[in-house]
Amino acid sequence: MRNGTRAELAFLHRVFRQRRGWYWGAWGLLALTWIAGIALLALSGWFITATALAGAGLLATLDLYVPSGGIRTAAISRTLARYFERLVSHEAVLRSLADLRGRSFRGLAALPMERIRAYRSGDLQTRLTGDIDTLDAMPLRVVGPMIAAALSLVVTLGIAVWLAPWPAAVVLATSGVATLAVSAVLALAGQRRSHALVQARAGERVGLFDFIGGLAELLAYDRAREHEARLRRENDHYARRQRTQEAFGVGSEQIVQAVVGASALVMLVLALGWYRDGMLDASVAVLLPLMTLGLGEVLGSLPGAWWRAGESLEAAGRVQHLEVAATHTPATAEYVDPTPRDEAPALHAHGLTIGFRRERPLLGPLDLEPARGYPLVISGASGHGKSTLLDTLAGELPPLAGTVALGHDDLARIPTDARYRHISYLPQGLQLPDTTLRSILSPAHRSLSDAALWEALEQVDLAEAVRGTDEGLDYRIGEGGASLSGGQRRRLALAAVVLQDRPVVLLDEPFSGLDTPTQQRVVERLLPWLQDRQCILVTHAPGQLPARWPRLELAKPLGRS
Amino acid sequence: MTQVPGTDAEATDARTSPGPWLRARQQPHRRWLVLSAASTLVATLATIALAGLVAWAVHGTLFAPEAPYLPGILLAGLVLLALRYAAQALRDLAGHRLAFAVKQELRANLLRQARQAGPARLAGQTTAGAWAEQFQTRVEDLTGYYARYLPARQAVILTPLAILVAALWLDWLAALLLLFAAPLIPAFMAIVGMGAEQIHRRQQQEENRLAGHFLDRIRTLDWLRRARAIAATEAEVVERSHQQRRLTMRTLRVAFLSSAIMEFFSAVAIGMVAIYIGFALFGAIDYGPAGDITLFTGLFILLLAPEYFLPLRQFAQSYHDRAGALAAAETLAPALASPTGPVGPEHSPEATAAPDEGAVVPWLQLKGVTVHYPGQRTPTLAELDLAVHTGAHLALTGPSGSGKSTLLAVCAGFLTPTTGTVQRHPLARQFAWIDQDAHLFHGSLRDNLQLARRDTIGDAEMATALQQAGLPLDAPELPDGLDTAIGEARRGLSGGQAQRVAVARALLSGHRLWLLDEPTSALDPDTEQALLDTLFRLAEARGLTLVIASHHAAIHERCLQRLDLAPATPGARHA
Repeated sequence: MRNGTRAELAFLHRVFRQRRGWYWGAWGLLALTWIAGIALLALSGWFITATALAGAGLLATLDLYVPSGGIRTAAISRTLARYFERLVSHEAVLRSLADLRGRSFRGLAALPMERIRAYRSGDLQTRLTGDIDTLDAMPLRVVGPMIAAALSLVVTLGIAVWLAPWPAAVVLATSGVATLAVSAVLALAGQRRSHALVQARAGERVGLFDFIGGLAELLAYDRAREHEARLRRENDHYARRQRTQEAFGVGSEQIVQAVVGASALVMLVLALGWYRDGMLDASVAVLLPLMTLGLGEVLGSLPGAWWRAGESLEAAGRVQHLEVAATHTPATAEYVDPTPRDEAPALHAHGLTIGFRRERPLLGPLDLEPARGYPLVISGASGHGKSTLLDTLAGELPPLAGTVALGHDDLARIPTDARYRHISYLPQGLQLPDTTLRSILSPAHRSLSDAALWEALEQVDLAEAVRGTDEGLDYRIGEGGASLSGGQRRRLALAAVVLQDRPVVLLDEPFSGLDTPTQQRVVERLLPWLQDRQCILVTHAPGQLPARWPRLELAKPLGRS
Repeated sequence: MTQVPGTDAEATDARTSPGPWLRARQQPHRRWLVLSAASTLVATLATIALAGLVAWAVHGTLFAPEAPYLPGILLAGLVLLALRYAAQALRDLAGHRLAFAVKQELRANLLRQARQAGPARLAGQTTAGAWAEQFQTRVEDLTGYYARYLPARQAVILTPLAILVAALWLDWLAALLLLFAAPLIPAFMAIVGMGAEQIHRRQQQEENRLAGHFLDRIRTLDWLRRARAIAATEAEVVERSHQQRRLTMRTLRVAFLSSAIMEFFSAVAIGMVAIYIGFALFGAIDYGPAGDITLFTGLFILLLAPEYFLPLRQFAQSYHDRAGALAAAETLAPALASPTGPVGPEHSPEATAAPDEGAVVPWLQLKGVTVHYPGQRTPTLAELDLAVHTGAHLALTGPSGSGKSTLLAVCAGFLTPTTGTVQRHPLARQFAWIDQDAHLFHGSLRDNLQLARRDTIGDAEMATALQQAGLPLDAPELPDGLDTAIGEARRGLSGGQAQRVAVARALLSGHRLWLLDEPTSALDPDTEQALLDTLFRLAEARGLTLVIASHHAAIHERCLQRLDLAPATPGARHA
């Protein structure tokens, strides 16, 4: 087992502890199902043998009704137990999944910005959802069967010790241990491949994206056949390995069944021997091997349990760090912010150098402290670090040198949520959630009146378009805001920023996609709102903004010829 | 507000229904099905023999004057046991082999189909993400059908039949009991099956919707954090999950109930057989064969009774696999259907103009080209004539939907016109291609540039091409020079810089016909001007032929020739 296993197990324990009542219920019902199944088989064998003996006159008295009543009870309780076991276990898992989604969302939200960016690439996202779904196998298909198998084994062992000489118990215990060992060995052997398989699949996905996304280029440069052949080769290799792994699964299942069958045979031969020696009566001699055979269903679930244990642990390893991130976020309450607007801490930067790598700074050093009511207009051709500058000023990217501070506090030391109590940031790459206009304009923690929302829409010249829809403020913007045009998306976000009502406002190309008259109108309407705020505005067309606003033209980046 | 245009008439072209489609896939690989049927039969016969052996051993020990030799029974039993499970393993492996063969053939077809359809046709049908999902997940969804459902369907006929014959031979009354119990099972199975299919579909939909919600919120985490809506969203995520739980449980309760009923009936049937045998042995029944039933017969039939019902239960379970595969087949069948309408690059029977009689042969000559997409009333391009001469700078203009991209795709050979001919100069068979979002392949900058040619391109040549394309190697966005890792969301490069990489790649290819599809529409005006400066300077210096589809005025201004594709004005147009 790998080093992280213990931590992963602890994590899984924490996750599922919340619903442990449900799980114990499901496990108990599972054990009841299996024990009833074993009893059904064993009792039937005993019953038939006893009747045969009685019919032949070898047994003096036989009460037909008690054992047949027992058979009926076992049959009915098995069916009922299985039905409720399924209900309870699914209920439990779905409850845990809901908990888990909430947990991992919180964890993800607490990660630093760069890490979240990595998550935005499609693969990690889908893997995260897949991982969360994989975790549910742990209580139901791993721990449950193991606990229920142990319980069933203990019950049958008890009966064997009670009815028969000690070797009977030894045979049962051996078959239990043997199946556990055989299935564990085979599952681990197969599992070693599964990690490589997961990676191969992710790699294949990248290749497929390149093939379809870049098909025009591949055809133009006559590389499409080559790429196709490579993908086929890789897929073939991958599928072959997957087939080997499946063979391990098939093999371990049949081997476990064979082990159980062999134990039953050994038990039969032993019991018949004991009967001949007068140590057992005949009906018990038949009951014992049938009881052993009944263990087949119980032990048969163990290979699958081992198999899934590995998958769940791997998934847990990947999800786990999210939880860690969530618990290590500093409490936001520590940061006290002064409320009156006049005393609101001002954003200022000193000796600021920005960029992604120390040896290749994009811009700087730079001193900035925009005055309230006088938005600072930043312009310059693309690639000169405008957007990076706003990222840094919003505290989402650490500066390479120098400081950005809010009042007396370095931005890096202010918790995220507290920082956004002061700073509104409208970035260039905008991703709006798929929900209604109302929930975008007014997130749940604030209750703004409809009148306020309409006013904000009016300010960004969007109210008319919204009135034109049947749903009004309940209009859904679709995935990625697909039901809005690009310009409408930006203006909607701008309206949300207006309603956020924070003292520092950072806007990256807020008016792109607007024609000049509309832009003039929007700027005009926003002036009163901008009056008592610090604002930094990035644009490629500074000429269209009021001339009294201060300008900053970014020079060519360092190290660029 | 603008609505998304998202109706794809072509996608609903389901000429083959999913059931026959799935069966047609297995035809070439029938031998695996034969193997699995044979293994099932062997396993069943071994099971029957084993039951007989055990019953005989018990009967013999209890009643026979001469007790059977126990070690011999153990040995024979172990052999039969090994035979049974080996045969079962073989059956499962045969199923997996069948699934493997079908899946690999499908995937190879999907790849070939995509290449043959070409980018222009694919763009109307699918996205890269959806296509990859189809290739990986949907094809994988077929596994259960071939690996479990089909073998289970064989077993559900073979195994009960064999057991019935064995029982009939010994005690026809018990066999009759089993036989009468059996028709109950298919009836219930139909109920379970219908339930399973419905549940499968509903649950799948709900899962997708929920997963969609969760993914959407992760994707928009930046916005939510800036809007300080994290806590509210977390509550929303949890609430949605619970909502889905309640819905799912409602459907599951019904499904579990129907399978519980089925299980109950098979338990009752086994119980009835057991009680009949018990009473017959006791001497309480003396009708028909019941009078002379022995412990051997009784035990033998009792041991086989659960084996009689087991395949029925397994078959019911594999019904879920069938439902999943049918759903997958519904999406796969149209994707693999042979193309209709304008065909892709592989089918184009192009006339390569022979450079005859020293006449000035145009690089591209389109005559009477009509492109008519199926499901559309009017053709996208109608009776179009066009000649592109060496060194021409041609802008294809017109409002969106007027067929600019279609015409460019015809020029590239990605589409073959419905009617009309395309002749190309031998030198114009190869071309460079740049579209709206240049595709950067996963790998280093060097890998992306090397794609342009087969022979190894030297670092110096690459650096020169990049310099000429306006993205010098010492730019801050290329911290590792040619080894900078790019691709997948083109890390670190802006839209303009990605286009410049594409320009450098086109330069390195040495091809002199450049086809550009909206090359600047993802760029801001400053970047657009800078890129166009570079492009046209290079075109002058190298005598390139440019065909640019664009609605940007900045491009129209720079091109000497323009072809205006106004909609709804069919007729011949000349450039």
